[in-house]
Amino acid sequence: MPAKYGLPSDPDYSLRLAEFEARIGRGEKIEPGDWMPEEYRRQLIRMISQHAHSEVVGMLPEGAWINRAPTLKRKMILIAKVQDEAGHGQYLYHAAETLGVSREAMLEALLSGKAKYSSIFNYPTLTWADIGTIGWLVDGAAIKNQTMLAAGSYGPYSRAMVRICAEEAFHHKQGKEMVLFYARGSEKQRQMAQDAINRWWWPALMMMGPHDADSPNSEVLTRWGIKTKSNDTVRQEFINEHAPEILDAGLQVPDPDLHQDDKGNWVHGPINWDEFWQVVGGNGPMNKERLEARRKAHDEGAWVRSALETYAAKLQKATVAV
Amino acid sequence: MDTQWPRWEVFKQDTPAKPHQAVGSVHAADPQHALLTARNIFARRPQAISMWVVRAEDIFSWTKEELAENPPPEAAKQTEPLAYGFQPLTFCVFRKTSHKRSMTFVDYVGEVSASSPEDALKQAQQQFGDVEALAWWIVPTDRLAKSDPGSETVESWFAPATDKTYKQQQYYATIGSHVSKHKLGRETDDEE
Repeated sequence: MPAKYGLPSDPDYSLRLAEFEARIGRGEKIEPGDWMPEEYRRQLIRMISQHAHSEVVGMLPEGAWINRAPTLKRKMILIAKVQDEAGHGQYLYHAAETLGVSREAMLEALLSGKAKYSSIFNYPTLTWADIGTIGWLVDGAAIKNQTMLAAGSYGPYSRAMVRICAEEAFHHKQGKEMVLFYARGSEKQRQMAQDAINRWWWPALMMMGPHDADSPNSEVLTRWGIKTKSNDTVRQEFINEHAPEILDAGLQVPDPDLHQDDKGNWVHGPINWDEFWQVVGGNGPMNKERLEARRKAHDEGAWVRSALETYAAKLQKATVAV
Repeated sequence: MDTQWPRWEVFKQDTPAKPHQAVGSVHAADPQHALLTARNIFARRPQAISMWVVRAEDIFSWTKEELAENPPPEAAKQTEPLAYGFQPLTFCVFRKTSHKRSMTFVDYVGEVSASSPEDALKQAQQQFGDVEALAWWIVPTDRLAKSDPGSETVESWFAPATDKTYKQQQYYATIGSHVSKHKLGRETDDEE
């Protein structure tokens, strides 16, 4: 597939760019093999690969609790959820590959620490209540973002997002169900649920990224339909849904400034962006552990890859011999 | 060590009434590995009854744009005359006809017999030209690996996706205050 990635120095760039933007304006999807600006491709690879890495690293905080799940039902749910995250990573690596970057190169960037992934996964999961809270708040925030991305202009990315959203809806609901169950439970269970919400609320709000005024890529991403809503808009949707639900459950939102304005929007207090940039910069509570765990998993899986290759080579030889 | 492996395109058939559709790709060392990985990635939830895989390098593809700029060489170069025992090859033809929504795919439309991929494209354009194609994929039929159509395999591969209700969001639908109560409006894309 000879992909065509346009540079501003190309003689026909402005003509083709106009056609490309008109297609996006008509709501058409851009598909692999179609002409696209090199900058569109670059931004998509950056976003999709970060997103893929987030799914892969996202298995770690929850995977740590599989063998400590309190019941068989919760354990089966959690196993299915963690397996979903692995699948989501693969959907996304595939979507990025349609833009001419290899999965191996992306994985190497992750394992070497060069690539970024969502900072939320650099926080620790301290109690079982964190598992429900991650489903409800972290996946809840992810769905808001992913529903927005599902409407985006690049076909393979939007298809991956539609599939992922359908599965994330299960993650979100099982988490909400678990937290609400604890909220109605014993004093100790209520405390656990509240403690988990206290620790995850603010990192969840940071998941949508910096405020619109501080988001340098937003203009071009919006013009080319990669992002269809701004960070602050998506954050507001998340708060409007989750803040009243938490309050309804008899739990507290850990934000003394939280209030509803006259339009019905729930307005949050100041976000600690210093913390956000610290975690992005590699100084979060779990950055080092997460990367070490990924590298260990990769190294310990080497014998499986080697066995598969040996078997495939044998098959190949047998076919040639026939 | 190489962790890349060849890339395989995956075609999933949801129901007998639907065509096989290109849903994405996997990396695998051999055809069976590719089919199993495809099952684990693309049919953990959604309905499916059959899957095909083919190595990406065995797909000949043309977009409408590419065909407009570089028409394929006229009439296939038939290297051997029929009299000397030339056997035409069978090719599977896949076509994408819409870029309007996200959940549109390169769909299987049928088979043609041809002397080369270019010849197969020409025949595909004649036989399946009823709707304008935005992209054509031509695959030598013998390069496709298919999931076993036997009912036992179909059952064990694809039923768990829909049978395990705790993995479905509907299972949790009535818990707590319904989200719609708090929503100020939300856009959704077409669901699978």
